[in-house]
Amino acid sequence: MPENNIPNELRGIVDIVYLNRDNCKITEKNGFIGLRAVLDKSDDDMTEKEPLEKEENEKDDGDSKKKKKDTPAVETVDLGNGKVEKIAERIFLSRAFPFDMPYEYISVLDRDKKEIGFIRSLDDFDEPERTLLKNELETKYYTPTIKRILQVKERYGFSYWKCECEFGEKTFTLRDTFRSIIKAHTKDGRERIYILDIDGNRYEIPDVEKLDRMSYKKIELYL
Amino acid sequence: MVILDNYPSGLIELIDRKGVPENKIRLLAKCDMNRDKVHCDCFLIATGEELLIISGIMTLSEKRGVNKHLAQTSASRLEATFTELSYECHMLSDLSDFTVEEMLSSCRLTAKSESVGGHILLSAFTNTSKSQMNLFCKYIKKVKDGEDPELDEDDSKATRFCPKCGSRYPDKDRKICPKCMDKGKLIRRMAVFFLKYKWQLAVILGVLILMSVLGVLSPYIGSAFYYDEVLDPEGDFFGEILLVLGMIIAMRVFSVLINIINGVITSKIAAEITYDLKQTIFGAIKRLSLSFFTGRQTGGLMNQVNSDANTIYGFFCDGLPYFLVNVVQLVALIIIMFIFNPFLAAMSLVTVPVFVFIVKFIFTRLDKLHAKHYSSSRALSGALSDVLGGIRVVKAFSKEKNEVKRFNRHSERLAENAKNLSNFQNAAWPISDFVLYLGNIFAWGFGGWMVIKGELTYGMLLTFIAYMNMVYNPMYFFMDFAYWATDCLNACSRLFEVMDAVPDVVEAEEPVRMENMEGRVTFKDVEFSYVKNRKVIDGVSFDIEAGKVIGIVGHTGAGKSTLANLLIRLYDVSEGEILIDGVNIKDISFADLRRNISIVSQETYLFMGTILENIRYARPEATLDEVIEAAKIAGAHDFIMKLPDAYATQIGFGYKDLSGGERQRLSIARAVLRNPKILILDEATAAMDTETERKIQSALERLVKGRTTIMIAHRLSTLRDADKLIVIENGKMPEFGTHLELINQKGIYYKLYKMQAQALKSIGIEG
Repeated sequence: MPENNIPNELRGIVDIVYLNRDNCKITEKNGFIGLRAVLDKSDDDMTEKEPLEKEENEKDDGDSKKKKKDTPAVETVDLGNGKVEKIAERIFLSRAFPFDMPYEYISVLDRDKKEIGFIRSLDDFDEPERTLLKNELETKYYTPTIKRILQVKERYGFSYWKCECEFGEKTFTLRDTFRSIIKAHTKDGRERIYILDIDGNRYEIPDVEKLDRMSYKKIELYL
Repeated sequence: MVILDNYPSGLIELIDRKGVPENKIRLLAKCDMNRDKVHCDCFLIATGEELLIISGIMTLSEKRGVNKHLAQTSASRLEATFTELSYECHMLSDLSDFTVEEMLSSCRLTAKSESVGGHILLSAFTNTSKSQMNLFCKYIKKVKDGEDPELDEDDSKATRFCPKCGSRYPDKDRKICPKCMDKGKLIRRMAVFFLKYKWQLAVILGVLILMSVLGVLSPYIGSAFYYDEVLDPEGDFFGEILLVLGMIIAMRVFSVLINIINGVITSKIAAEITYDLKQTIFGAIKRLSLSFFTGRQTGGLMNQVNSDANTIYGFFCDGLPYFLVNVVQLVALIIIMFIFNPFLAAMSLVTVPVFVFIVKFIFTRLDKLHAKHYSSSRALSGALSDVLGGIRVVKAFSKEKNEVKRFNRHSERLAENAKNLSNFQNAAWPISDFVLYLGNIFAWGFGGWMVIKGELTYGMLLTFIAYMNMVYNPMYFFMDFAYWATDCLNACSRLFEVMDAVPDVVEAEEPVRMENMEGRVTFKDVEFSYVKNRKVIDGVSFDIEAGKVIGIVGHTGAGKSTLANLLIRLYDVSEGEILIDGVNIKDISFADLRRNISIVSQETYLFMGTILENIRYARPEATLDEVIEAAKIAGAHDFIMKLPDAYATQIGFGYKDLSGGERQRLSIARAVLRNPKILILDEATAAMDTETERKIQSALERLVKGRTTIMIAHRLSTLRDADKLIVIENGKMPEFGTHLELINQKGIYYKLYKMQAQALKSIGIEG
């Protein structure tokens, strides 16, 4: 478990399962990631399994339900001496602090969005697993970087943006410009902003100070 | 064949080369990334047997030999070529279970493949393509079943894209393309509103024109006429100073009179028009369905409506007339100046372009500074009300110092912005005045020279300079006017949005009158979703006999309150039907439906006013005895009597603060006073202690006799007296029956019951 420099007075009251290179392997199949982890046995592993499956059998099946019936989201194997092995064919990652710490404090969820464990930092894993995790995160939180802002037009409550991103020119629309711009800070104190467009896409300006003057002037008002 | 998006002609040739002729295509969709997250145009094309995924780059170029000006649409003028990036082909029979996996800012399309034995990734895309890909999943299912589907009306591109310019509507429920919005039409439509007051407006306009004529005339009399005709020995009126003075005084008096008349008329119609506008707006608002208020950003929209009315009024009653007057005045001035002396006129107007340029710059800059100043002052007052509202928490955690610091930070920023603003203003206006003054110098210089040469009289020169200064004022106004007009258009479009919104819950055209209901409630295969394709209620059916008590149990967010909202038609069911006494509620008149059903919901809302007024809200004609009785039933009477002003206590914003339980009791009293046939208690007693809850329940028990009661709760003890129980989970109704039946089923209810019993047992009470 990673050492915490600050004394944690709450430690030990609830169990947080930290995943790292010692107890967990990240697997990959068909471009999706999964895991195999050896963890301490917890109360959850015992009790909740039984009724949950029973419930599902009673329910009439839609398409999504069928999927669940095939295999459980997480396969749990009792290894004895208080340890279990958990195998999940697919896992889903979620950032706890998506803007300020994109590669630390990552929740690992199974197909049913139940937390399997927590990753303190991607540095707790070695290559190539780290890259697998990083790719998955970057896919989920797909955020193109804006290099230059070519035009910002405000009209009737919406603002229309034309920007140069890493992959080329992109136009998008914001609703309520002020609220669609999220300010965050990098660890070294630079100002970083995220822009949320009307469809829910995200764009990032990693360092506002580094924008060229013309671009900066266009968004100055919103900062 | 279903074509969900435009495709380049080159694409068809390309797939033709791959052995798929155009006529075999059954479904075509486009998304904006390929599997490797490369931004491109990725086409998914399904024939009866195969699914082709082709990604590539579409480039548009001018077609050769087409007259640019004759071609109506961009499609007929431009030619699209397609460069292939990647290509893959799947057998449709191998794939099943097409799903759009929504991640956060991107999505991916996956499908289950038999040959691989698991899910495979077909394509990635941003949220922009999400709606089209959802449609793809809908149609691919049909294609896989061997159909050749047709495009549904609702799904066609036209409903999502502006037909004129082809760009997507920013809000798909609001079919307004800001680019193509007809501004003239907006203004015309608004003008109709003001035409009611056309006589008053004509009078205002006439008065304003009169004022500007006087304005143009007075320098002439004061300078040219006075110096050249009265003071000059050669003048026609030499020595008649009193005449001139008389004229000047008469003109002053006249203009004072006109000013007074103008003021009286303006303030009279100002009040009338704003009242009229606001009445129209709020009339439109109250007609709308609940979903309009809860959906989208309309909450903010409502707040704006009030200030919008003022903006619109200001534009039409102040802005527009002044605009016309200024135009008239400016044109008249310039014409007069050129008639007097074209050379001098040209010379003195030379600085006008410079002046316009500078003022425009100042306005743009000022706008930014004002916006910054405004946002920091808003942040400051926000922080202040935040701290004052949460003062209990602040003190409990002894964070006073931090809060002071936070306040100071905002206050510093405000001071900084205010300083910037006034610094700029202090520098900018003198500069623009200086430019204006330069124009004067030109006029003095050239004019003086012309006076010496005898080409111009002295009085004429003075008149000229007076006129020149008058030219600049309209200029200031015009530059401000542009902002004013944009503001007004904005306000108009919001206003019309409210007025044009079609309520989605509408009363039947010939509603069934049901003055007295018996109270039998039937749900038949009811389905409902707030957002398309995400069912909140999914196939719920039950039947409650009149006069029975029904309990609805379920987890938070399972859809219990939604059932209640559907019954009183705050929303309409998307599938199935709800019947009361065998009549579909869609056919029952609103008045009867809502008179016979009362709801006490989780969020109690008390209006500003006395307790009496609040209880009587449901039935203003209720007698005082009835009010007291209702309060007694709801267990509210005792605490009301402890208040010094009893039933006359003022509550609501800024007055007496009631506790959560007290507020609930008042809203129960309100519902009881209504004396409905069907009573819905939606967690109505959740904030009370168990003893009070018991008391109210036993009182209610007497009340609910002969009445249908629907009780929603997650505390099972609340539902002790229910005849039948409905268990709701994830919008479905897996269990329905009496307490005993459900216990014997050993299902969800049994589990809940066991858990709550265990909780009691753990503190030593046998459940």
